[in-house]
Amino acid sequence: MKKGLLITLIVIAAVVLIGGITVVSTYNGMLTKSEEVEGKFAGIEEQLQRRADLIPNLVNTVKGYAKQEQDIINSVTEARSKLAGASSIEDKANANTELTNALNRLLVVVENYPDLKSSQNYIQLSDELAGTENRISQARRQYNEAVKEYNLSIRKFPANIIAGMFNFDKKPYFEAEEGSNKVPEVNFD
Amino acid sequence: MIKKVFKIDKMENQSRKRQRIHFAFFLLLFILILSNMTSVTLAAVVNPTSDFYVNDSAGVLTSSTKQYIINTNIELQKKTGAQIVVVTVKSLEGMSIEDYAYQLFNSWGIGDKTKDNGLLLLCSYGDREFRVEVGYGLEGKLPDGKTGRMQDEYIIPYLRNNDFDGGIKNGYSAFLKEVADEYGVTITDSEKAIQKGISNQTYNNIYIVILIIMILSFILRAISRGRGGPFIFFGGGGGFHGGGFSGGGGFHGGGGHSGGGGSLKKFLILKNNLIELNNKNHYYNSK
Repeated sequence: MKKGLLITLIVIAAVVLIGGITVVSTYNGMLTKSEEVEGKFAGIEEQLQRRADLIPNLVNTVKGYAKQEQDIINSVTEARSKLAGASSIEDKANANTELTNALNRLLVVVENYPDLKSSQNYIQLSDELAGTENRISQARRQYNEAVKEYNLSIRKFPANIIAGMFNFDKKPYFEAEEGSNKVPEVNFD
Repeated sequence: MIKKVFKIDKMENQSRKRQRIHFAFFLLLFILILSNMTSVTLAAVVNPTSDFYVNDSAGVLTSSTKQYIINTNIELQKKTGAQIVVVTVKSLEGMSIEDYAYQLFNSWGIGDKTKDNGLLLLCSYGDREFRVEVGYGLEGKLPDGKTGRMQDEYIIPYLRNNDFDGGIKNGYSAFLKEVADEYGVTITDSEKAIQKGISNQTYNNIYIVILIIMILSFILRAISRGRGGPFIFFGGGGGFHGGGFSGGGGFHGGGGHSGGGGSLKKFLILKNNLIELNNKNHYYNSK
């Protein structure tokens, strides 16, 4: 009888121990992944800032050659300040797409100004901008991969129970909403 | 006798049972491992050769150019830890050259692991595109605008004339000098790069502005690193890649990484002109 009781106690203790270890290690794993997501987001923000810093120079250079393109220049400046004012990840992603589109339109307009297009200042700035855009897209991909891994980890069984206990929520991807890629129309008449 | 045989039979049965249990156990383990694996992205980029520093899969370089790239790289790496890898491909396999270069750079681990001072010159023969990808550690010396200008001056004019060997060698020499200057060393057999094409106009204070931006972003990066930030992931990966092909006496990457810095140039113009010209000639001739 006594032996049976002892065995039961040992089994219960083992189950509790294993359960406890699982909870702790799952919790730590989710925490690590969550931190990784935060870290990757800092990487995106750094590059967004870098791009925002480059834009005033670009705008000044363009102004020097193409004063009459005020509308397009304004749309770039507006998109830039919108990005600076965005706080949530979704807003930032949308503002970023808007800025990309405004810049693309600007690049199209520049085609009409051969002097501007061949100026060293402009070539250099557009290379810098292209490089920064590439950095943003690489940083974004890394961020999204980290988010995917994190989101998956909190939804798997039995981690989802532990995630619910400790309030681990899904994190958003860095993606633009439909429609945010529309730039205000510019009239060429 | 019969009893004995029966006993053996029983033993065999038991061991078979045990085997089956073992098998089931391993199968379960295997399934568990599989189910826990996240999707592994297979890089479709070319693999490093045993020479590491040069992979001419498009076959546009002469053997003397390749030897020059290898020899100077050995010296450069010994003195500074930096690596300048030259890769030519026939096609980018549908990828953008930015993504191709980024993947190749980080999977090969170009440059020193802690200094991140790698540089990649990637030429796609079929797509007629050229990209310079810069490791984190060299972004201060080689900002995107500068790498773009260097391509315009040292490489693209040659490539437009289909002189791949000449353009790549000349461009390589130009970048080699920049990297050597960064560390204040000289490479004995390095050749002087010849500027061609766009005349060297005055560069105003734009460099200073860009430098300030660079410094700011370095500070930001340092902060985010301190936070256990975004670049730790690479650190682990880089070392692993380097170890993979160190066996055969060849060279290998030091584990450096790039964040996507660099610039890309297309050199379509002359080719298109040629086609247009040919079409016109054809048109006139047939008339």
